[in-house]
Amino acid sequence: MSIPAPLYSGSSAGTAQPVPSAVMPLTPMIDIRGVVKIFKNAAGEFKVLKGLDLTIERGQFVSIVGKSGSGKSTLLNMITGIDHPTHGQVIVNGTDLYAGKNESSRSLWRGRNLGIVFQFFQLLPMLSLLENVMLPMDYARMYDFDERPKRAMQLLTLVGLEHQARKLPLAVSTGQQQLAAIARALSTDPPLLVADEPTGNLDSHSSDHIIELFDQLVREGKTVVMVTHDPSLTARTNRNIIISDGELISEAVAVALPLLHHREMLAVTKQAKSLKISPAQIILQRDVHVESFFIIARGVVEVILQGKNEEDVIVSRLNPGQYFGEVELLVGGMSIASVRAAADTAVELLALQRDDFHKLLKESPITEEALGRIARQRLQENKSINRQGLPQAGLGKNNNASSLA
Amino acid sequence: MRPRWLKVFSDLTDNWLRTALVVFSIAVGVISIGVISGAYVIISNDMSASYAANHPMNVELRLSTQFDKNLVDTIRNMRGVAQSEGRNIFAIRARVAGTTQWTSLDLVGIENFKKVQINLLKPISGQSSADKKQLLLEKKAFTTLNAPVGSTLEFELSDGTIKTLPVVGIVQDQTTGAGDFLAPPFAYISTDTLTYLGQKDGFNRLYATLSAGNNDEEQLRQMAANIKDKVEKSNLIVSRSRISKTNEHPMASTVQAILGILLALGILILFLSSSLIANTLNALLNQHLRYIGVMKLIGGRQNQIIAMYITLILAFGVIALLISVPVGGQGAYALAAFIADKLNFGLLGFRIVPLAFIIQIVIGMAVPLLAGLVPVLNGSRITVLRAISGETARESGSGPAADLRRETAWERFSTGLAHELSHRGFHIPRPLLISLRNTFRRRGRLMLTLFTLTMGGAIFIAVFNVRVTLFDYIDAIGRYFQADVTVTFDRPYRLEKVNLSGMKYPGVTQVEGWAFADAAVLFPDKTVADNLVIMAPPVDSKLVEPILTAGRWLQAGDEKAITVSESILDAFPALQPGQILRLKINGKEDDWKVVGIFKFVGQQGTIAYGTYGYISRYTNLVDQSISYRVVSSGGHDAASQQKLAEGLDKYFRDQGFHVTEARSGKSTLATASESLDILVTFLLVMAMLTASVGSMGLAGTMGMNVLERTREIGIMRSIGAVDLEIMRTVIVEGVVIGLISWFLGMLLSFPFTYLLSTIVNLAVFNSPVDVHFTWVGYLIWLAVVLVLSALASVLPARNAASLTIREVLAYE
Repeated sequence: MSIPAPLYSGSSAGTAQPVPSAVMPLTPMIDIRGVVKIFKNAAGEFKVLKGLDLTIERGQFVSIVGKSGSGKSTLLNMITGIDHPTHGQVIVNGTDLYAGKNESSRSLWRGRNLGIVFQFFQLLPMLSLLENVMLPMDYARMYDFDERPKRAMQLLTLVGLEHQARKLPLAVSTGQQQLAAIARALSTDPPLLVADEPTGNLDSHSSDHIIELFDQLVREGKTVVMVTHDPSLTARTNRNIIISDGELISEAVAVALPLLHHREMLAVTKQAKSLKISPAQIILQRDVHVESFFIIARGVVEVILQGKNEEDVIVSRLNPGQYFGEVELLVGGMSIASVRAAADTAVELLALQRDDFHKLLKESPITEEALGRIARQRLQENKSINRQGLPQAGLGKNNNASSLA
Repeated sequence: MRPRWLKVFSDLTDNWLRTALVVFSIAVGVISIGVISGAYVIISNDMSASYAANHPMNVELRLSTQFDKNLVDTIRNMRGVAQSEGRNIFAIRARVAGTTQWTSLDLVGIENFKKVQINLLKPISGQSSADKKQLLLEKKAFTTLNAPVGSTLEFELSDGTIKTLPVVGIVQDQTTGAGDFLAPPFAYISTDTLTYLGQKDGFNRLYATLSAGNNDEEQLRQMAANIKDKVEKSNLIVSRSRISKTNEHPMASTVQAILGILLALGILILFLSSSLIANTLNALLNQHLRYIGVMKLIGGRQNQIIAMYITLILAFGVIALLISVPVGGQGAYALAAFIADKLNFGLLGFRIVPLAFIIQIVIGMAVPLLAGLVPVLNGSRITVLRAISGETARESGSGPAADLRRETAWERFSTGLAHELSHRGFHIPRPLLISLRNTFRRRGRLMLTLFTLTMGGAIFIAVFNVRVTLFDYIDAIGRYFQADVTVTFDRPYRLEKVNLSGMKYPGVTQVEGWAFADAAVLFPDKTVADNLVIMAPPVDSKLVEPILTAGRWLQAGDEKAITVSESILDAFPALQPGQILRLKINGKEDDWKVVGIFKFVGQQGTIAYGTYGYISRYTNLVDQSISYRVVSSGGHDAASQQKLAEGLDKYFRDQGFHVTEARSGKSTLATASESLDILVTFLLVMAMLTASVGSMGLAGTMGMNVLERTREIGIMRSIGAVDLEIMRTVIVEGVVIGLISWFLGMLLSFPFTYLLSTIVNLAVFNSPVDVHFTWVGYLIWLAVVLVLSALASVLPARNAASLTIREVLAYE
């Protein structure tokens, strides 16, 4: 199964053609800068988005998660050009959506550059599935008139609806409607697909089918941004963006402390101090007091112990979303290992002060329990290493564990 | 106020546009019916009342010899006569001093303006009486000549002398010439002025009113016969007599027929307005289904909900009435005044017509109630589950509760056809498909909209056909007026003399003298059944091409034989060719054989044709005539004929003939056409009114469609539709509805044409005529309906295009 290739040949004069992604400059697919959205109503002003900065690279499968009212759909509206920000800039596929564009010209841009999949499918009820899929090509004036039915049929075949093509939306199941909506979203071969709760009204079988389809689209170079509530879907995306109360939660915090509520994650994101560490720079020496809980936001850090010949032995490499410092803060005592930035990468850390860390754990016993369990496990591992001696300058077997520090 | 009544109040006030649409839908019908019923009552009442108020004559005798005051006094002293007066009426040509265009006027000489008791004159401006060498103009003459008070008119006497008279006043005469479409404009002088204008002293017209029974036709006829007898005993010749009821305007039956058509149109507009109301209320109730569900959820009972919405509908009705009753009242009077002005009768002043007022209130309240009852009852029955689950929105977007269902046969046909066409290489663009299929989605609403537009269109087209029918008929009547110019002299001239002289005029190819006789057709009891003008062309004349309905035309050797126009059948319904009519000509009674019956314009009275040879002998004018028909080899259009008439007028005068008038053949028909134009314009206005109600219905429908499809418009926007595409989708739908209505209107226009033609022709010509059709109406209506439907869709389309996607898709 592969997506129908853009039909570059045989086009009639005046019809716009999709630009092959190969010639696109390698800018991010989505670049959101300082976006603020304020709604005004009788009760006053309500800030829904509070200065968001977000970059989504091309070819990523990104989920956006947030509770109801968190601003995730408003964020999605900013990306799709459906709504406009009060302040800030939204650049999608190299186009600044709100600079000198009106609603009508944004519609045309949207038709040519992105496909939208809605929770309630939003197929036009008076058109057959095939006609629904052809409609964006008509609006965007893309592809030859004769090519449009063929391309639409290819897309319906892609989603497995070739035998339902002539039916009206109301005559097919909801799952099939959503598949047709995806085919429609792909009809102008846009580089970006935006989906709002695409599986919200589907059974698990249909949901799986759709996520597989998204996976495949991403593999073939599309960028997919999907709003969802379903944790099983977020697990299948490359990146999970969480929005809470109009602000983005650090993705590293979300990965490191998944048991926190979004509100608490956001608090950690705000409280944690961002530290920039140069490659190979020592972050933490052994046998010193540890005053912070460190979460790796970017880069790789190495956990080091002294070998028999006083040489540094890397016992573990930690990646973004992993953390260190929790053992000392939970158990007490000096640091049990040194930690430094890997020699080939700069590192960005989020450092949560001791008091904030304990306050957080107090508010989230489940996180405290999880961290405590990991801390005990790490202490156990440390004792074991001390008893058995360090391996020769290399990684320990626990290189996937969070830390020995 | 209880919360539920607060809700009703807020439903009225929270969406002004919607409230305006509903109120407007109701008001359109109520205003129309108010205007028409009000005008109907005002005209029915005032036309005859104001006619009666002017003391119209009951008996009119035209004498071919002059008479004096003594005869007037003698008649006044007759038993049963209330008043009698003499007038001297003669035709003359006049023009405003300093201009060149002559107009034929009938000048009415009145002995003493202050003592006029019959056919009163209503002053409009300037003096109400004319002294010696002064002139009063009737309103119509004032309009025709455009001669205000203070201007001077020039009159051309039969010997070519020009005399002048100043216009000292404008008056309205609702009685003289009433009912005659072809009557020339009137002007009034004192009898002191007669000699100045070359006329003999004395009178040639006798008017009388009766002291009793002046609305009883039998008595009028009897009195007319008595008066006529009395006059004839004085050795005077009565050429024509006419009776007229005091309380019935001579045009009353015609106007009643027109008002009947108006009333039918009014009822039609009411139906159209009802469908408009039903559509609007249906849409409103659809929007409210969710609220109804919520009300039921928290304990609202069906009866309470019905009461709320009935109250809402009644409130709409009350608001509509507040607007439409005053507008309808004013409109009724304006319409009545328009008709009164065109038919030259007065109104008794503005007033509220109680009947129209009551009809408006009943309709303003009952029609919305009836139209809204079904939607209200249906709406109130909705289940809570269905209302709040969003299932009601299913039609306009695939909501969460959308159930899988089979496509209807229509849907399968529609999609199948598009695919089949596409398969054969004929691709219908999807935006166009959306417009086409949207057209048929709300079929009930579509039907109501089509009904209004189709009716409007059918009437519109039918009016054009009726117009052509009328004018074709007038043209057919033109076959009786084939000569280019009719030259009338004030005395008989020998045929040979006029012929010789006339043929010398450049371009003249034929000069034909006709004989004339005025005849009274008598019932066996000797009373006058009808008056005839017998025209007598030479038996081989090519200037008359009659449309015979029975019998034959005249032949050489016919004596005491006539062909007669079919209006004679009013008095003698069983008359057949070969039967005898008793005629009184110049005081002499004889039996005449009717050899044929032909079609003619009924309102002009009955005419007959005889042979020149016999009639000229009968009237002692052998080889002589006062009226000559002239044919030219030049153009036969109105302008050429007019030029020829003016040329001949001067030519004959220069030759020493005493010319009364030289009139172009087409001008007679032009006068008739002008009168008919008024009628047709009037019908056209009504057709436009119907059409505008139709287009309002369409605008409402499109507005409601857009309102219901905002979500779909959002979807279109989200997948790339620009403003123009959205507008096009809406406008094309409107235009498709317009086109369908045009097609249906075209079909329906055929029976409508027959119906309307029959009613109008019976009213105007007293006879049904052959119906003619013209493509003009069809084409104009096509253009009108396309423009109307596009315009009706533009506003909803603009609204649709201005919706932001966030508004219509409402993610959160």
